[in-house]
Amino acid sequence: MNRTFGGLALLFLLGVLLAVANPSTGIKFGPGGDEWMKYRYTDQYYIDHGPEETGGANVVTDIVFDYRGYDTLGEATVLFTAIAGAVALLRPWRRDGDE
Amino acid sequence: MIPYLIIIPLLGAFAMPLMGLAGRKAGELWAVIVTLLTFGVSIDVFNTVWKKGILVYTLGAKSPIGKGVDFPVRIVWEVDLLGALLALVVAFVTLVVVVYSIEYMKHDTGLEKYYTLVMLLEVGMLGIAMTGDLFNFYVFFEITGIASYALVAFRNDTWEGIEAGIKYMFAGSLASSLVLLGVVLLYGQYGTLTMAYLSKMITGNPTFTSRVALGLLIGGLLFKSGAVPVHMWLADAHPAAPSSISAMLSGLVIKLGGVYAITRLAFSVFGGGTNLRTLGWVVILFACATLIVGNAMAVVQTDMKRLLAYSSVGQIGYILLGVGIGLAAYGSEVGNVALAGAIYHTVNHALIKALLFLIAGAVIHNLGTRNLNELSGIARRMPITSFAFLVGAMAIIGVPPMNGFASKWLIYESSALFNPLVGVIAIIGTAFSFAAYIRVVFTFLGRPCERVMQAQEPGKAMLLPMLILVAAIVLTGLFPWIISDRVMLPAAKMLENTGNYVSAVLGGA
Repeated sequence: MNRTFGGLALLFLLGVLLAVANPSTGIKFGPGGDEWMKYRYTDQYYIDHGPEETGGANVVTDIVFDYRGYDTLGEATVLFTAIAGAVALLRPWRRDGDE
Repeated sequence: MIPYLIIIPLLGAFAMPLMGLAGRKAGELWAVIVTLLTFGVSIDVFNTVWKKGILVYTLGAKSPIGKGVDFPVRIVWEVDLLGALLALVVAFVTLVVVVYSIEYMKHDTGLEKYYTLVMLLEVGMLGIAMTGDLFNFYVFFEITGIASYALVAFRNDTWEGIEAGIKYMFAGSLASSLVLLGVVLLYGQYGTLTMAYLSKMITGNPTFTSRVALGLLIGGLLFKSGAVPVHMWLADAHPAAPSSISAMLSGLVIKLGGVYAITRLAFSVFGGGTNLRTLGWVVILFACATLIVGNAMAVVQTDMKRLLAYSSVGQIGYILLGVGIGLAAYGSEVGNVALAGAIYHTVNHALIKALLFLIAGAVIHNLGTRNLNELSGIARRMPITSFAFLVGAMAIIGVPPMNGFASKWLIYESSALFNPLVGVIAIIGTAFSFAAYIRVVFTFLGRPCERVMQAQEPGKAMLLPMLILVAAIVLTGLFPWIISDRVMLPAAKMLENTGNYVSAVLGGA
């Protein structure tokens, strides 16, 4: 019963996402020309101004370490958290003797 | 001062492995200092926001807007009164929990990892409260999530810790990938990640994609807040975690990662371009189910922490109900009062549930059992702890001298005015909650059983945090309407006013 319901819900979600992936009802793929400036104006800004504002020729690193450097710090923190968590959970069990 | 709200706990967490080398005491002292400083900064930030209105901070430049264009290209922090209030509560409860852990966790190993994870949990929640950027929100949402998975399973030698951790992690990762999918769809459609500019774009051009994204985001976030069809992880995770962590999970994580995020997205991002009435009714339906199921399941529990966990689910129902009515009756007096009640209850429930879980921790630490049937008559041997429990139970039911009364009253009043049926459901939920807590109180006051006779009060480091929380509950309970008028109603107004939120970043552009 639950499994049937879950399957139907997944099918529904898939259908909705297919409608979103359809250019006539949802998101455009490979926008070019006017559409590029309508949907990807932020990207165009980074391409135009990135090298002079940050001094790096690689636009991706300009974004990742300058414009959105705080997100990169956050991602480093996610990694640190994951490592701290894994190390914490894989530590030896406490035994009866040592308190 | 605002950057220090992230810098200090992040530095604390990254430096903790080094401090741990200097020995156990040094690590504990470092954790207390760091959380104390964070609490100080959060008071200052709250004060600034309360006096001057929305605080905007751009990372890396003076203004988030790019040169020669009218859209933001950098990450912004945008702290309004709701965000500042929650940052204050997060910093306060974390400080209390860290002080409590010094004695509570003394039989456990791996403590430097424990304090590292606690501070990372604090960073994650503060980041969620402060951010004005959608992807940045997701990053901090993940930090909070991963730190809490690890902390739930921290006692790796108990089977239930590992089982609850695995359950929470599998379902939680699925929920956060729904959130990420929502963020991706919004970026694909509108080309920006700043919440304020996204709000402007959605208002100008609401599309099918934005509605699907809203559905995915709300679905993922309802999971994190423990709303009813997806509350099962909560009932397992809270009893299995160390009690100090249950206090943080129940008091803070389900509110910052769940309810606050839903509120922020619904009002500030989707406020203009969506039919708020429909969205409000969806939230109200989940809220009513959560209210009834959570509180009713709390009545039949025999495990003390599981009872508190189900009670948390029930109280989340009240908060969601306030938010839902605030959305459905957007712009009217009733909606404003309901939203103020929801914000007020978020703060109150964080204090109350932190207190109740710390008490449960003290009892379990002392007697080694969570079974309520074996705990009768504990008031004879642990009078201060039992008194604190009585205060907490009265506050959560909403007895007048405590703080829970005013916040629940605002929610009852507005739900009865909004729709009498919803008001009746809220009252039924409280009746169940009353039954659940009165049973525990009677157990505590009953005839002492054998097991209880060798119990004694916990030490100072565990009693002090409980008494601080009792004092906070009673003191805020004495001035409910002043707090409501000065803080909660302005916070609700500031949240409802999407235009101000947008123009604070875009500068009227």
